[in-house]
Amino acid sequence: MKLSIVVPLFNEEESITSMHRAIESAMQDFAGSYEVLFVDDGSSDQTFDIACKLAERDPTLKVVQFRRNYGQTPAMAAGIDLAEGDVIVTMDGDLQNDPRDIGKLIEELERGADIAVGWRYKRQDKLLTRKVPSRIANWLIGKITGVPIRDNGCSLKAFRASVIKRIPLYSDMHRFIPAMASIAGTKVAEVQVRHHARQFGVSKYGLGRIYKVLIDLLSIKTIISFSSRPLLWFALLSMPFMIASIGCILASLLAVASGESMSLPIAGTGVLLGSLAMFLVFGGALAELVYKTGDVRLGKLAQLTMEVE
Amino acid sequence: MNKKVELSVVVPVLGRIDDLDDLVSGYVDALEGLSTDYEMIFVVDGGVDEAFESLSKIAKASDRLSVVRLARYFGEATVLTAGFDQAKGDLVLTLPAYHQVEPGSLSRLLDEIDSCDVVVARRWPRAGGFFESLRRRTFHMLLKVLSGEDFNDLGCGVRLFRKQVVKEVHLYGDQHRFFPVLAGRYGFRVKEVDVAQSPKDHFRGRYRLREYLHRLLDIATVFFLVRFTKKPLRFFGMIGSAVVAVGGAVVLILVVQRLFFDIGLADRPALLLGSLMLVLGVQIFALGLIGELIIFTHAGSIKEYTIRTIVSKSGNGDGGDPSVRRLKVKGSV
Repeated sequence: MKLSIVVPLFNEEESITSMHRAIESAMQDFAGSYEVLFVDDGSSDQTFDIACKLAERDPTLKVVQFRRNYGQTPAMAAGIDLAEGDVIVTMDGDLQNDPRDIGKLIEELERGADIAVGWRYKRQDKLLTRKVPSRIANWLIGKITGVPIRDNGCSLKAFRASVIKRIPLYSDMHRFIPAMASIAGTKVAEVQVRHHARQFGVSKYGLGRIYKVLIDLLSIKTIISFSSRPLLWFALLSMPFMIASIGCILASLLAVASGESMSLPIAGTGVLLGSLAMFLVFGGALAELVYKTGDVRLGKLAQLTMEVE
Repeated sequence: MNKKVELSVVVPVLGRIDDLDDLVSGYVDALEGLSTDYEMIFVVDGGVDEAFESLSKIAKASDRLSVVRLARYFGEATVLTAGFDQAKGDLVLTLPAYHQVEPGSLSRLLDEIDSCDVVVARRWPRAGGFFESLRRRTFHMLLKVLSGEDFNDLGCGVRLFRKQVVKEVHLYGDQHRFFPVLAGRYGFRVKEVDVAQSPKDHFRGRYRLREYLHRLLDIATVFFLVRFTKKPLRFFGMIGSAVVAVGGAVVLILVVQRLFFDIGLADRPALLLGSLMLVLGVQIFALGLIGELIIFTHAGSIKEYTIRTIVSKSGNGDGGDPSVRRLKVKGSV
C-alpha cells in the first residue's frame, strides 16, 4: 500500500520544520511506502523556501506551490489530485493535528471503512470563538444532512484514493466530505485523535464563517436532496407559500360568496404567493434538468464504492 | 532560416485607428532600439478595409511585420486572441492602433517583466480635463471596491505578457479591458508601470450613455467572476436575503398598523412594494440554489487552483498537467 499525506500550508514558516519532523518520526514504523505533499497556498512568508530546503534532503517530500492564495479546500484538492497513493491522508499544517494518529486512521480503513475522520475529542481551542460555533455547526450539519458526525471541521482524515478523487472538492466543501461520502454509500468511521493547542501564529479562521457555513449548508442540502428525490426539495420550499396562497384565495372567495366585497390585499397576496410557489416548482424542474445533464452525481459514487469492495 | 523571436507585438486594428504610417514607424523605431528579436502582428478586424490596405503596404517593407485579417467583425477580445495564436515570442506586447503612449518609453515595460508575469502601462502624467479624470477615477475606484484589484489605467492597451499568460487566460466578450484583472485571478503577478502619454492621445468623440452602461455591466461581470463563481448562493443569498428583509419589514409594519392602529391595508401602495420584494427575494434565493447545483454537477471540470511549481527530489514526470511547470529541485545541483 502506498500512502500520500497532504498538508496545506499557508504562512506556516514557524511550524513547517517541526511539522515535517513530526511526520517523519511518525512514519518511521510504517510498513509501506509513503509520500508527503506540502501544498503552499500562496504564502507571503518563507514557507515555500523552507519547504524546498526540506525537499532537498527528503525524497518522500513533494512541494506544490500555488500561484496565489486560494484557500484550504483548493489546497487539499490539489494535493489529492497529485497524490499517487492508494490511501490519502489530509492534515492541517499548523501542528494542531498529530501525525502519530495517522496509524489509527489507516487501521480503520483496513477494517473496511472508506473514509476515517478524526474527532478532536479534547479540543485545545478558545471556547467562545471556536468550540461553541463548531459544536453548533456540527449539530446543524448532522441535522440537515442526516449524517451525525461529531467533528466535521477536523482536517485529519484518511480516504481511499479511489473514493476521494471522485468527490467534488471546491470552495469550503471539505467540511462536508464525510456527509457527502456517507450519503453516497461509503462507510465513514470516526476516530478519536489528539489535538494540540496552537503554538505559532493566530488562527486563520474567525466568526466570519458563520454566514458562509449556513449558506453552504443550504447548498449541500439542495445537492443531497437532488441525489435522492429531485423536485421534492423545491416542492417542499414552495409548500408554505402554496398553502398560504390557497388560504388567501379561499378566504376572499368565501367573502364574495357571503355577499361581502372582495378584500383586495388578501386576494392580491394569495395570487402573489401562488405565483411564487409556481416559480419554485418550475425552478425545481429546471434544477433537475441541470442535475441530470451534469457529470457529477452522488449516486455514481455509490456504484464506485461497490466496485471497491 | 528560422530566427528565434523573443518579443511578439500584437496590434489589434479596429475601432479607433490613427494615421497608421506615422504610428507604425514610431513603434518600429522604438522596437529596433530595444535590441531584441521581435515580430509585429497586425490583426485587422472585419470591416476596416482601408486600414488593411495601408497595413499590407507597410508590412511589405519588412519581414518582421505581418498582417492577419478576420473574415468579419468579431470585437477586440477575439482580435487579440487571434493575434496571440500567431505570436511566436516568449513575451507578448499589445499596442493600440492609435497614439496612446510615447513609443520611446516602451522599454520600461520590458525592464519590469523579469519580476512578474504581466506589466500594464499607466499613462502618466496624464492629459485631460477635470471631468475626464473624474470619470476615470470613479471607474477604477468602483472596480477596486467590487473586485479588490487596484488598477489605475485599464483603458490603456499597452500591456506586456509572458506567453504563458495569454495561453492560459481566456478572453471573451468585452473582457479585454479587464485582462490584467483576470490574469491576477489566475495567480499571475501583475505590475503597473508609468509610461509617458503620447501628445497625440486625445479622444475626439463623446462618451455616450451606452458606453457608461457597458462599463458598469463589465464591472458587474468581473465582480461576479472574481468573487462568486464557485459559490453562487453566497452572492444570490446575500442579495436575496437583503431584499426579503426589506420587504418583510415593510409588510410587518403595515400589518402591525392594520391590526393595532386600524389603518386599512387596501389603500396602501407600500403593501404592494413589500410583498413584491418578499417574492423577488425568495426567487433570487432559488436561482442561487440552482446555481449551486450547476457548479456541483460541473465540479469535475472546474479547477480552482493554479500551480506555479512542484518541487521534489525524486522528480518523476510532470503529470501532463499544462499548469504544472517542469519538476525541478530548487537550488540543488
